[in-house]
Amino acid sequence: MASSFLKGLPVYNEQNFSRFQGDPSGRTSYKKPPVYLPTKDNPSSQEIVTEKTNILLRYLHQQWEKKCPKKKRETGSGSNEEEAPRNKRPRLEPGPSSDSP
Amino acid sequence: MATAAYNYVVTAHKPTAVTACATGHLTSPTDLNLVVARNNRVELHLVTPEGLRPLKELTIYGKIACMHLFTPMNETKDSLFILTTRYCAMILECVGDGEHLEILTRAHGNVSDKIGKPCETGMIAIVDPQARCIVLRLYEGLIKVIPLDKDNNELKAYNIRVDELQIQDIEFLYGCSNPTIIVIYQDTHGRHIKTHEVSLKEKEFSKMPWKQDNVETEASTIIAVPEPYGGAIIIGQETITYLTGTSHVTVAPALIKTSTIVCYGKVDANGSRYLLGDMSGRLFMLLLDKSDDRAEAVVKVELLGETSIPECLTYLDNGVVFVGSRLGDSQLIKLNTEADSSGQYVTVMQTFNNLGPIVDMVVVDLERQGQGQLVTCSGAFKEGSLRIIRNGIGIHEQASIELDGIKGMWSLSVNSPKHHNTIVLSFVGLTRVLTLSGEEVEETEIAGFVADQQTFLSSNVKYDQLFQVTGTSCRLVNENNGQLVCEWRPPEGRNISVVAANTNQVVAAAGQHIYYLTIQPSSLKLEASTTVEHEVACLDVSPLWEEEMASVVAVGLWTDISARVLALPSLEENAKEFLGGDIIPRSILMTTFEGHHYLLCAMGDGQLFYFSYAPSTGYLSDKKKVVLGTQPTTLRRFRSLSSTNVFACSDRPTVIYSSNHKLVFSKVNLREVTHMCPLNAEAYPNSLALATSEGITIGTIDEIQKLHIRTVPLGETPRRIAYQEETETFGVITMRVDVMDNNGLRSGGACASLGAHSTSAASTTSSLLKPPVQPPPEPGQEVETHNLLVISQNTFEVLHCHSFHPGEYALSICSTRLKDDPTVYYVVGTALVNPEESESKQGRIILFSFAEGKLQQVAEKEIKGACYSLCEFQGKLLASISSTVRLFEWTNERELRLECSHFNNVAALCLKTKGDFILVGDLMRSMTLLQYKTLEGSFEEIARDYDPNWMTAIEILDDELFLGAEHSHNLFVCHKDSAATSDEERQQMQEVGRFHLGDFVNVFRHGTLVMQGVPEASTVTQGCVLYGTVHGALGLVTSLHLELYNQLLEMQKRLARIIKSVGKIDHDFYRSFSTERKTDRCEGFIDGDLIESFLDLGPEKMKEVAQGLMINDGSGMKTEATPDDLIKTVEELTRIH
Repeated sequence: MASSFLKGLPVYNEQNFSRFQGDPSGRTSYKKPPVYLPTKDNPSSQEIVTEKTNILLRYLHQQWEKKCPKKKRETGSGSNEEEAPRNKRPRLEPGPSSDSP
Repeated sequence: MATAAYNYVVTAHKPTAVTACATGHLTSPTDLNLVVARNNRVELHLVTPEGLRPLKELTIYGKIACMHLFTPMNETKDSLFILTTRYCAMILECVGDGEHLEILTRAHGNVSDKIGKPCETGMIAIVDPQARCIVLRLYEGLIKVIPLDKDNNELKAYNIRVDELQIQDIEFLYGCSNPTIIVIYQDTHGRHIKTHEVSLKEKEFSKMPWKQDNVETEASTIIAVPEPYGGAIIIGQETITYLTGTSHVTVAPALIKTSTIVCYGKVDANGSRYLLGDMSGRLFMLLLDKSDDRAEAVVKVELLGETSIPECLTYLDNGVVFVGSRLGDSQLIKLNTEADSSGQYVTVMQTFNNLGPIVDMVVVDLERQGQGQLVTCSGAFKEGSLRIIRNGIGIHEQASIELDGIKGMWSLSVNSPKHHNTIVLSFVGLTRVLTLSGEEVEETEIAGFVADQQTFLSSNVKYDQLFQVTGTSCRLVNENNGQLVCEWRPPEGRNISVVAANTNQVVAAAGQHIYYLTIQPSSLKLEASTTVEHEVACLDVSPLWEEEMASVVAVGLWTDISARVLALPSLEENAKEFLGGDIIPRSILMTTFEGHHYLLCAMGDGQLFYFSYAPSTGYLSDKKKVVLGTQPTTLRRFRSLSSTNVFACSDRPTVIYSSNHKLVFSKVNLREVTHMCPLNAEAYPNSLALATSEGITIGTIDEIQKLHIRTVPLGETPRRIAYQEETETFGVITMRVDVMDNNGLRSGGACASLGAHSTSAASTTSSLLKPPVQPPPEPGQEVETHNLLVISQNTFEVLHCHSFHPGEYALSICSTRLKDDPTVYYVVGTALVNPEESESKQGRIILFSFAEGKLQQVAEKEIKGACYSLCEFQGKLLASISSTVRLFEWTNERELRLECSHFNNVAALCLKTKGDFILVGDLMRSMTLLQYKTLEGSFEEIARDYDPNWMTAIEILDDELFLGAEHSHNLFVCHKDSAATSDEERQQMQEVGRFHLGDFVNVFRHGTLVMQGVPEASTVTQGCVLYGTVHGALGLVTSLHLELYNQLLEMQKRLARIIKSVGKIDHDFYRSFSTERKTDRCEGFIDGDLIESFLDLGPEKMKEVAQGLMINDGSGMKTEATPDDLIKTVEELTRIH
């Protein structure tokens, strides 16, 4: 039964493992790869940051924006969208205190 | 003012337990790669026709919690996502190839939140199949989404609240227009499945496509099924369910019930086949068949065979699978379409050693060589084993020839300018010549050589001639035709007793007479002769430097046991050194290591004397001695790379070489070598031929010494080990798990406790402890039996097995004598475990003696609790029993009598003693120092660390400093300040050292893995404590003096800056002491792993590290360090492990 299960196992490159030489005991000596020791920096790495906004406030914002779509939207430019939350920052600043129980 | 601790901590053996693995196209879109995570290391391999080719090992500054390969949007090559347990996330990409492989950190950052309760079921990270986002489940009630937006220089992650608590598993569904997750969660009614669509724009769940309440109550794993099938497979304890939202198929294969499926690996890209691995090491295949749209899907499971107990599985290519294991060795296996004779569809191709989890270990010196070996309790369940770990040089056997009685061996090149093709073997009254053609070996003859006598020496010499010396004569033979051209015999019918030669010169001795000859075309010319006071025992005429002719001959004499240097050609004595004792010198050798000349003289008892030799003055100086073996030792020279080495053939074969102008003595991983010759044959280039009692081994030799591991499989879980020198045995506590089936209790595989030469069991009638009568086990129920195994130190056979009561757990063992009683005992501490109780209330301390292959119970003592730890203390027995520490006296009536107790712990897990002092490690109350007052017969609490550290292991460094390991993978050192002015200060231990090790330490032992007592042993550090970890890493903690500490600290700062961290995790952050409650800067510890990576830097970077670094030049003045100074310092440090 298991034989039929094992027919046609995926092949990526049929050469792979074709010249494998194992110890009969299976204990082939295993060479450790060389340790990678980088000395070059990669400045272009993207930084993963967590949004600081409280989940509840973010939700309320979204609800509010859904209910009364911004008139500003009409201008539709990206810069305005970015500004919108900035205007509200002052009100959010005390936010962290609401983080603590 | 507290004294600071100056410690150096370094890994001697990297972690070997596999925590995660993945297959993908990481190094190029066409390469097939295997990526393996081992605690804080990631190994990249390439799949090739020859098998796995190791490419690189990355060090991650953190413990890897999750690792995934994924294909970023619009790309063909995979990237690697890693999340560490301290919430550092990173996305890595490989660029370049071969030697120039670089790892780019594409994204990095800390994803922790200031508040939130970490999930009890661990961290989970999943990547959307279309790589739109990554979802992390880190804290209860929240999931974190990292949208994979390429255009921003920031990836803005955000949290979404989830109603479902106690999430068991989470996955992304395939083929959804928006990223959609599926979760198994638990509530009071059971476990349920829910799906959520994530709106990346709204940063909310937008809808719930479907759900399924009340799946199996033990459902634990989700497998998302790719298109065209879609949906998900839910793996439970007894059932497997396939869900699509519209259909629902559940199967309950009887096969899977007996254990728990813990991991899976996808086989086909279309998701029709999966490999499943369970906790007992069985491998299954799950087939999902949904031939046409209307028919219901069919789910089938088949058993394929047995593997190591898997932690993770990944399918590579052509039926080859990598099985990553945490509890045993990892494997490369092949799936076959036909079953073998035992019904298995699996064959093991390759095994990767794993020491983890190291639960306990002892440092022993079985051969009494001054070099410690570690014997560890490694692995668990059927993967349980003892591992014998020794530092040394490895010989890799290429070929072997069975022959016994070899008295000498030389390699020649006969009409073969580049390679050796002939081996001359000498036996008592006989000489044989072997010729090597390719890998074939045939017996041959050299016409001019005598075959019916024992050869003392044979070699290629000047003018295309071969040379043979026997007891009667020196024979010079033409290499081209093999004909004898000259024969020299000592005058007056004397017999040659000892001889030495190089390509130009021969020195032969007959008793007290020494003859010096030179080799000429077709003749041997006697240049000089002399007579010395005593018979000659050994000779050497090796040229120093690279010169052709030697200017001196080294001689070892009988009777006055002296080593002498005679000038050539005059044979006048230049120097004489008496070696002392009455053991004759057996082998003498002059050699040059790193430009320094040495005279080495090996004795008949395995000792080696060595001197510095100054050719200009002819003097010998700096006499030093080291014990290499116990048998007569022969010294032979060989070259490896471009350096000179000396091979000391004996019962403990050793390679002698020089590093930093100090001699290093490295044991070779062979049992006994009687003779050795270098061999550079065509089929065996740069090899050695080694004669052992069984024959000849041809092999290559490691360039450097490293740890060698020998495995003794037990087939059951080893828990504790103790060594008993007197009986040459180890006492090992093991646990065997049997499963009740229809035919009674069944134990899987070969268990050490069932194969013992003799057995015994705790008696239910005479024992003090009456274990509760337990109902007979139900079918499928697991029954644990604890045993004491007595194992021979020589053969590692189980000589005796003693089984404890049902439900009685053996927790501790020690080997000791007590008071005036001459008998040596194995003492075992136990606990009776009642599943109804939160804590054990009853246990025993049992004394056994082992003699003549039998174990006898001598005494037992009932105790009120679990005996976590035992040790000998001033002829008495010290035990930690539940929350107490108790001292027992051994009375003349051979009974244990309680003398005194200390009560101030939650659970006293570990004990260490020194003099009158006792260090106690508590489950959650850090360390306490007690003093035993001999006169009063009581304990006094001297000092305590008041930090709430949960201890895993403790050790006493010295009278004032105490080393602890706690359960968040940190090390710390506490200081007892006996000079403090107030009582309060004295009673409070100060934490003076802190370090994040990043692995769970189970055991500390004083000891070392390198040769001790060697005159040139490293002296830069003091004391050495070895540690063993859950992930199979071994390391050591040692003390530095302040000046070196400060130098290394400065060097460490520079290295942390110059060596860029993969994933941009700060070294400072990595090594800071961190628990759930606090994070404190690393202090009082030097990170040896970082320091020692200095040696792998390029010359430019070394210079950068050295620049402006001030060191003591030896005179007390500070000078700027050169890279060479630093190399020397660091190499010195690497020699302690």
